[in-house]
Amino acid sequence: MNRFDQQWQKLIVLARQAGDHRDAAPPFGFAVRIAAQAVVLPAASPWASFERFAMRGLVVAAAFGAGAIIFNYSTLVSDQSDEYAAADTVGDLLDLS
Amino acid sequence: MADEPLDLPACLERVRRRDQVAARQLVEHLYPLVIRIVRSHLPRRVAEEDLAQDIFLKMFTRLDQYQGAVPFPHWVSRIAVTTCIDQLRAQKRRPEFRWADLSENEAEVLDNVLTDERDAIPGDALAAHELVHKLLGQLKPDDRLVIQLLDLEQKTIAEISAQTGWNQTLVKVRAFRARRKLQKLFQELQSKEKS
Repeated sequence: MNRFDQQWQKLIVLARQAGDHRDAAPPFGFAVRIAAQAVVLPAASPWASFERFAMRGLVVAAAFGAGAIIFNYSTLVSDQSDEYAAADTVGDLLDLS
Repeated sequence: MADEPLDLPACLERVRRRDQVAARQLVEHLYPLVIRIVRSHLPRRVAEEDLAQDIFLKMFTRLDQYQGAVPFPHWVSRIAVTTCIDQLRAQKRRPEFRWADLSENEAEVLDNVLTDERDAIPGDALAAHELVHKLLGQLKPDDRLVIQLLDLEQKTIAEISAQTGWNQTLVKVRAFRARRKLQKLFQELQSKEKS
């Protein structure tokens, strides 16, 4: 155990002694109020839990898209007319030479 | 009524049929569990009752998704933990931690811990409790939660994993990361105190 661990343990042991003596009972009327709202609440969609990831997913997808464009930029802007000219498929098939 | 044990499966079945009395009984039964989590991870400027209300309303709207794979209180704990962490993430950036932010008692306790000069006195416990929460407030919400549960509430890695839904390796990684950050904080405070 290093010096920090000893200091932290000393502090934590001391902090634990304070405990939490606050009342853990619900405030007056709390349960009734929540129950009244609960019975009129619509059920959450099964997809609702995915909503929190939607924005992050969009950002990640955009980053991947941008990465793909940058990575393939040279291929996208290069002049490919020579490649088409070199690959004369019709000529090869008809054997015109 | 509070002394009677609650038949949880039957109560849940009644709640699903929109029984208001059963919903109230469920809230009363789970309130101590929820409020303990809320009080442990309460963001600044958020009332504990408001946060508890959010958690219960989420629980009721998602009740149809509960399949019984984990005990119901564990499932509710996870909703409570996630809601608290979301609130902590949403709050403004943590202010820089300075020696001047500490009360006289907190500074004395910290000085005592860092210099190891004297034994603790009874009044130190409350100051230490406040100080620990100020230090934990400097951590990322997920890391803070792990240290809170591990060190203050003395839960095991397996219990934390069950309560949060994180796997045990992730819990250990977060604990390690949090302790490293706390160590850095201690070093900064020590150097500031000396200067």
